[in-house]
Amino acid sequence: MHSLILEAILLMALIAITLVVIFDKDLLAAVVTYCAFSFITMFLYIVMGAPDVAFTEAVIGVISTIYFVISLRNIDRRCK
Amino acid sequence: MAKKIKNAIPVVIIAIVLAAAFARFDFLPSIGDPDAPAHTRTSDYYIEHAVKDTNSPNYVTAVIVDYRAFDTMLETTVMFLAGLGVVILLASRPDPKARIIKPRKFTENREHLGAPAYQSINKDVMIKIIEPLILIYAVYVLFHGEVSLGGGFQAGALIGMVYIIDTMVSPGTISLIRLPKERSVALAGAGTFIYTLTGILTLVGGGVFLEYGKLPFSMSFEEKHSTGILMVEVGVTIGVMATIITILNAIHERARFDDDK
Repeated sequence: MHSLILEAILLMALIAITLVVIFDKDLLAAVVTYCAFSFITMFLYIVMGAPDVAFTEAVIGVISTIYFVISLRNIDRRCK
Repeated sequence: MAKKIKNAIPVVIIAIVLAAAFARFDFLPSIGDPDAPAHTRTSDYYIEHAVKDTNSPNYVTAVIVDYRAFDTMLETTVMFLAGLGVVILLASRPDPKARIIKPRKFTENREHLGAPAYQSINKDVMIKIIEPLILIYAVYVLFHGEVSLGGGFQAGALIGMVYIIDTMVSPGTISLIRLPKERSVALAGAGTFIYTLTGILTLVGGGVFLEYGKLPFSMSFEEKHSTGILMVEVGVTIGVMATIITILNAIHERARFDDDK
């Protein structure tokens, strides 16, 4: 029961973070918020009992964030 | 008006698909249900036989790199092809006549990528403390992956992360290993090749492809299995590490094409 409540909180956080990422006009802020999405997903995997997947998610989440940040150098940070 | 209808079509499709998915949501088995189809067919066999068959106490490793090693081999190949595709899309130089805009170098705006933090405590802490820790952890994850969490994929990603930190913190200095995009693509292919070579060695020993118990070494059955899993994991590590570095190089060397604004 407790894990269900925890999962519900984490899933709500995922929805909130997704909405922020979609509607944010500052792309750098959106990328960093997307890193938080990956972080919450990692906790979700741990709650569901898959530490292997959580480990992979933690590493890949950081690396994909770095890719996005490097790509941002070629375009404007603010979208119109 | 027609444009509004055109814009509404994807929303309507997504709404219909979501409604269909939620209508049959109770059809899915709940998490951790022992009677779910995924837990009744093969998992009993894996739980009973995995340690005896593969000499690996970690069921996840046993399933991924031993029972389903062929699957993982093609996954590694897919990842290598993904890195190759990113390089071809982003970093291939088109014909100079066909290109109007010159490629913008990534050092145009700043002298160094990490210029604000250059020659500061950030660089020292990153290079002297954080990078060795990540490297040690990566090697631990690689060689301990048979027993605990992790394995080749995570170890490769950690080593790739060390390369990224090194490139971003001190871009001016020459690092220990320089990997331009041609070499890193070749290295990713080499990782896939090591995986396949393990399978070929088992063929030489008289077994089926990737049957580690038939490796042509003078070892006991359990040691052969450990060696086979380790060789495969090393191949995956090199492949993942080189793919990550390849994508980083491709983003750095991205050429601008005519259709860029």
